[in-house]
Amino acid sequence: MAEKRNKEFYPDYLVEISIVIFIAVELTVVLALVYPQLIGRQIDFSTPYRPLPEWYFLWLYQAVRYFPGRWAFIGTVLLPFIAAISLIMIPYIDRGKRGRTRAILVGVSLLLAFVVLTLIPYISP
Amino acid sequence: MGKIFDWIDSRFGVKQPHKKFLERPVPEGVNYAFCLGGASFVFFLMLVCSGLMLSIYYVPSEQEAFMSIVRLNNDVTLGAFIRSFHKWSANLLIITIILHTIRVFIYKAYRPPRELNWIAGSLTLIIALGSGFTGYLLPWDQKAYWATEVGTSMASTVPFIGKYILYLIRGGEDVTGATLIRFYSMHILYFPTIMFLLLWAHFHMIKKQGVKGGL
Repeated sequence: MAEKRNKEFYPDYLVEISIVIFIAVELTVVLALVYPQLIGRQIDFSTPYRPLPEWYFLWLYQAVRYFPGRWAFIGTVLLPFIAAISLIMIPYIDRGKRGRTRAILVGVSLLLAFVVLTLIPYISP
Repeated sequence: MGKIFDWIDSRFGVKQPHKKFLERPVPEGVNYAFCLGGASFVFFLMLVCSGLMLSIYYVPSEQEAFMSIVRLNNDVTLGAFIRSFHKWSANLLIITIILHTIRVFIYKAYRPPRELNWIAGSLTLIIALGSGFTGYLLPWDQKAYWATEVGTSMASTVPFIGKYILYLIRGGEDVTGATLIRFYSMHILYFPTIMFLLLWAHFHMIKKQGVKGGL
């Protein structure tokens, strides 16, 4: 059957998607077996300790460092809030002439900020 | 074969409502990057399943939380594996959501009529990050405690009302057992429920609007 027909979700794509599902489960199983979660130490309440957060919060950890003292709220609240709002508002930033350019500008700066701020604590803890 | 399915279908009606979903046309220009959202959903389901298993053994109390994790790790069959599985699914979920967001952005699939679906997706990412943050405290070990101490203290920097927000998040002045149970509740009840509702809305809109094809 060489005639061109519209592809439908089932069965054309469901088969391929099941392969993706298989890979996702498999990848997690392998990672969990090769790099298991370790048991941490018991809490030592006496001495404050500043651990690195999860990798997806490193950007925030780094941003907070730039605003010590009374300006702390810029790093802890204001910038993350602006980031979240601009992510949510992307469809409304992309409006009218040059809308896409503006959206790309916002999107790329969000991504760059995330990547760069995440990498800095790795390079110079 | 098929008798059991027919029995259920004639009473429950599973076939008809899903027909439209399964037979919906898929546009040209779709590639493997379009699987990232589906992969995220798979990781989410894996988190739900492994989380349900972990919740059987985990004790959300100041005295017992740490020991219950140790017991889970050492005594429970496959306990250590399920814990690692949960952790890795969480990491992969965040990665695939970010990649999925980038894919949608590149394909301009946030444009009308799909704005609301972009917003639902963004909120899903924020809830996923919240789940990561609250889940981090649950092992109640040195790293978990101090990471939460540092993380929640950020709330106190909010001008004027910071003190009250901090109190609300921690359930007191400091990170204590009250914080633990708060985070536990958020992690296993509030956030998954919100997540399910958001994902339902997300998929409902995909069903209504279809997948946006190539560039």
